[in-house]
Amino acid sequence: MAPPAQSHRSPSPSQPSGKGEVSDLKTQLRLLAGSRAPGTDDTKRELFKKVISYMTIGIDVSSVFSEMVMCSATSDIVLKKMCYLYVGNYAKHNPDLALLTINFLQRDCKDEDPMIRGLALRSLCLLGVANLVEYLVGPLGNGLKDGNSYVRMVAAVGVLKLYHLSASTCLDADFPPLLKQLMLKDKDSQVVANCLTSLQEIWSLEASTSEEAARERETLLSKPIVYYFLNRMKEFSEWAQCIILELVSKYAPMDTEEIFDIMNLLEDRLHHANGAVVLAIIKVFLHMTLSMTDVHQQVYERIKAPLLTLVSSGSPEQSYAVLSHLHLLVMRAPYIFSSDYKHFYCQYNEPFYVKKLKLEMLTAVANESNTYEIVTELCEYVANVDISMARESIRAVGKIALQQYDVNAIVDRLLQFLEMEKEHVTAETLVLVKDLLRKYPQWSHDCIAVVGNISSKNVQEPKAKAALIWMLGEYAQDMQDSPYILEGLVENWDEEDSTEVRLHLLTAVMKCFLRRAPETQKALGDALAAGVADFHQDVRDRALLYYRLLKYDVSVAKRIVNPPKQAVSVFADTQSSEMKDRIFDEFNSLSVVYQKPSYMFTDKEHRGPFAFSEELGNLSIGTEPSDAAVAAQRVEANDNDLLLGTSEKEEGHGYRSNGSAYSAPSYNASTTAGASQGHFDLVSIDQPSTVHPPASFAIDDLLGLGMPAAPSSAPPTLLLNAKASIDANAFQQKWRQQSISLSQETSIDPRGVAGMMNPQALPQHMQGHSINCIASGGQAPKFKFFFFAQKEDGSSAYLVECIINSSSCRVQLKIKADDQATSQAFSELFQSALAKFGSA
Amino acid sequence: MLQCIFLLSDSGEVLLEKQLTGHRVDRAICDWFWDQILTQGESLKLVPVIASPTHYLFQVVREGITFLACTQVEMPPLMAIEFLCRVADVLSNYLDGLNEDVIKDNFVIVYELLDEMIDNGFPLTTEPNILREMIAPPNIVSKVLSVVTGSTSNVSNTLPGATASCVPWRKTDLKHATNEVYVDLVEEMDATINSFVLPGFSVFLSLFLHYSGQLCSGSPVCIDGHPKQLANVFYLYSLSCSDLSPLLILLLLRDGNLVKCEIYGEVEVNSNLSGLPDLTLSFANPLIFNDVRFHPCVRLRPWEANQILSFVPPDGQFTLMSYRVKKLKSTPIYVKPQFTSDSGTCRVSVLVGIRNDPGKSIDNIAVQFKLPPCVKSSDLSSNYGSVNVLADKTCSWTIGRMPKDKAPSMSGTLVLESGMDRLHVFPTFKVGFRIMGVALSGLKIDKLDLKNPLSRPHKGFRALTKGGEFEVRS
Repeated sequence: MAPPAQSHRSPSPSQPSGKGEVSDLKTQLRLLAGSRAPGTDDTKRELFKKVISYMTIGIDVSSVFSEMVMCSATSDIVLKKMCYLYVGNYAKHNPDLALLTINFLQRDCKDEDPMIRGLALRSLCLLGVANLVEYLVGPLGNGLKDGNSYVRMVAAVGVLKLYHLSASTCLDADFPPLLKQLMLKDKDSQVVANCLTSLQEIWSLEASTSEEAARERETLLSKPIVYYFLNRMKEFSEWAQCIILELVSKYAPMDTEEIFDIMNLLEDRLHHANGAVVLAIIKVFLHMTLSMTDVHQQVYERIKAPLLTLVSSGSPEQSYAVLSHLHLLVMRAPYIFSSDYKHFYCQYNEPFYVKKLKLEMLTAVANESNTYEIVTELCEYVANVDISMARESIRAVGKIALQQYDVNAIVDRLLQFLEMEKEHVTAETLVLVKDLLRKYPQWSHDCIAVVGNISSKNVQEPKAKAALIWMLGEYAQDMQDSPYILEGLVENWDEEDSTEVRLHLLTAVMKCFLRRAPETQKALGDALAAGVADFHQDVRDRALLYYRLLKYDVSVAKRIVNPPKQAVSVFADTQSSEMKDRIFDEFNSLSVVYQKPSYMFTDKEHRGPFAFSEELGNLSIGTEPSDAAVAAQRVEANDNDLLLGTSEKEEGHGYRSNGSAYSAPSYNASTTAGASQGHFDLVSIDQPSTVHPPASFAIDDLLGLGMPAAPSSAPPTLLLNAKASIDANAFQQKWRQQSISLSQETSIDPRGVAGMMNPQALPQHMQGHSINCIASGGQAPKFKFFFFAQKEDGSSAYLVECIINSSSCRVQLKIKADDQATSQAFSELFQSALAKFGSA
Repeated sequence: MLQCIFLLSDSGEVLLEKQLTGHRVDRAICDWFWDQILTQGESLKLVPVIASPTHYLFQVVREGITFLACTQVEMPPLMAIEFLCRVADVLSNYLDGLNEDVIKDNFVIVYELLDEMIDNGFPLTTEPNILREMIAPPNIVSKVLSVVTGSTSNVSNTLPGATASCVPWRKTDLKHATNEVYVDLVEEMDATINSFVLPGFSVFLSLFLHYSGQLCSGSPVCIDGHPKQLANVFYLYSLSCSDLSPLLILLLLRDGNLVKCEIYGEVEVNSNLSGLPDLTLSFANPLIFNDVRFHPCVRLRPWEANQILSFVPPDGQFTLMSYRVKKLKSTPIYVKPQFTSDSGTCRVSVLVGIRNDPGKSIDNIAVQFKLPPCVKSSDLSSNYGSVNVLADKTCSWTIGRMPKDKAPSMSGTLVLESGMDRLHVFPTFKVGFRIMGVALSGLKIDKLDLKNPLSRPHKGFRALTKGGEFEVRS
């Protein structure tokens, strides 16, 4: 009898009344363990079912492990499956117990039933216990040579699981070459596909350390192998086809003839019922024809119908994923889809996120011939019950108007919206009318007539109110009541919460005054007085500016506040075309759904699958729950890039999986240049020295960050901008782009460490020194912070990664700066601030 | 690829957890996800692909069950979503529907299925026919069988032959006592119809009724010899506001505005044929298709060349192809809503009738719409069928079969919230119907031929059209 298993595992606190029942189960199972009486299997089955159902609802049943294993000697396949499931769930956390299961799993791997062989092998690979990998090699080797394809299929994936458990064992057993052989020879297509997925993953992870693996990865993309897969395409299951097509999309054909051959071979697959296959094909087509403009156009025409069908069939979830891709293509080539605009009409029952994508597409495809119908359709949505939809629709109408098609009709429609007397419609329309007037001043007459009828009391939303006030000021001479309305608004100055509205009000009163001085004088006086007394600094500043301007010279004030306006021809686009290209390159990926290139939210190539899982699990979030979390993760991810971007990838792995490695090397605690130099060598960043400006000029220039022409010697004192701020995305992008200018190790006051108990304490303390925390995370004893600071004159930004080990009181700093010359000074400042933490 | 799949109940409880790789995903992710659902409102409204702090999540909701998959790496999103949809389909097919209880009762089967459907995060086989050979469904037959034979395993002891055959969706040695094959055309009509084009319409209608003297609200009108078509009237108006007496209203009779009308159809085949049958199905008018998608069993070359479907069918029920036919010119039924507001109350009348007789009877007719939030109370009744107003202000009018002798109509009044004079949001009417025996796209099957049949099989054809996303905007 094996010893009872529960000894070293404390019962989980979440365990409800299950405890007693679990021990009941334990006794019952033990009774059954040796029994061979008929009907035993049925009883066992009931008991197993109970165990598994406890496991499923989250009760810890690991205490019956040994009994489960003892009962596993059975020929009943369902019992076996339940047992495998149980073992797979608990083995990882009970490595000692897992050893018990090895025996029976190995025996099952030799069973005469191929299904049992396969299942046992799969379970064996899923145990996930690193020190049991030696037992895996034999069964896996046999599995790869098994006569039954089911077992080979399981074994092919098993190799990959082994690789993730212990890469060296997998490589030493020479499994990758075996897989390659199978991949090229096996009759069963699923075996071939599984070999391919495993090899792709293993070789791309190995590629950075082993030249051979890199070469092998290249051969996967070679002509013979790609053609081998293409020729067998029809045999593969739909999912395997997706994987192969992904491979093909990376293949670079030699000439156009080859491209056409491949496209002809794949074209019929556009009719496939599985949307994932269709998208994978489309990706291949789009990528292969990128350099051939006219063919690329034809490809768009060809893929249009399948994509539109995919959108209208299937579940809302599928539609959404396809729509996101369609959205990307429509934005790239709206003219190709302009005749299909009806497909982008929204259905009443569709979820809002689908409607929103559709509205954007409708806006994009609008041209001379279809604008009337599209706008008519959009007007339907405005009358819709759904308020957010109505708003989006009005914005869409506005965008189309700004695209200069059929503006006449649209302005009429917009003005009709104002007559609908719905607050949200009015508000949204006002904002739009403002934009329209900036672009088409010729419409001012018509618009003003309608806008003048709107009572400012009915407009509550700050944006809309600001827009209305802007118009009141801008068109003061056309609107009879303008000064009086403004006067009324100024009287209610104190009740106005929005800074934006107060700022606009100041400017509008000023403009009005410069045009109709006698009527506005009183309002202006009141507004300036209220403005100067305002608690918001921006409002105060603007009020003072106006006051002084007027005092100095009214004509100058007029030139500044009321210059002749030029119509705005192009409004700034939010998403750069470069970004769109980047997303397009990543067609058929998550990037498309998020409308962001993948480097902004994930980075697989550098990291390898799953490498960051454990660490991220612990990352806690500072202030804003979800946004900041993702931001923090992104920052984290990019940080890993930098580590893994270096040649010592393997080391990087160990580095992260074992948190203590951070503090293990013993460095000189002083912050001399020598020490920092030494640290550089460890992380081996490709940068010769800290003092010379690195080769990041180009990037800085691109960003317009204003790198000083010649880095002067470090200024004696460095002052930081107390109001510096940056959003998490910008920070993360900057962090990626800049190289480390200074890397140091220092120590922290133990009293400060005590203060770490409160996660907000350090960020608050640093803020007092004009250093802002962007993201933070980690668990005792390792905490990680990202800080941001800016030089007082704004010429240089400093980005800091700070890892604090609270048990050893060590602090690791990585500093990146626009102006590298001042980074040492900044570091001193940072450290002195850090030193004061806890001592105050 | 995918790292973990969770099944959640409609209250956020984890029904099932299936880890797919060595990198375990903590259950805490479900709590995070459920918080998002609670804060974002209805789960259906949540985007299918979400970035959580630690994972990317894919969610598919079926019958209140949320299928949630997690990954940490870039992957084709549609692949994950398609896969989850397949899982949902297979489960509901195995368990005869999906709900919390059925999953809790059969979780072992669900685990077994997932085990065969995905390994290490890569989808393997999702063909229901193959899966049925590996894992027997928990139906009565197998229960009876287990009593008779004494064998209790619901797992077939042999591996499916198809995993090795070159026709992966079919087992090689099938035998049926009666050989039969049925082909069904199942079509859904998606249409969007505008009753009125201008949002301000109802005001003008009541103005007109008021000033034209001879009419009063709700009574039948006769203009230009078109009686009883008040609801069809489309107004082009021009009026001078300064003086109401020369009020000029141009009335044009108009039949609603068909914004969009198309058919989404599927060819469903139920095949119970012995041996390895080879079928060809051809249509009389294959050119009407705007686009088609096929089951993997369909050979694509014959279709490209001659629009002939040539295939070796899987055993049992499957969708052979799906298709889309655009730009249909008319709908079988009309729904004509009309709202006239006057000082705080709003009269509603909805007429339903046959527009283009499809030649077969129309049944399962139901009209549904949501009362605007500003409606305080409602009093609605119909001359045919039953009207129900639910707590969430959804009003559903169930008509059933279209009566021969009269045109169904619903009418009543809505009382608006105080302070509101007239209604200025207008609901959208969702219309459901069913017509047996007709494919409204006009698609006709020409013939179905069988190569190498063991005996002469019985062949059957049916057609059916349903209302899909059929919307009428008032």
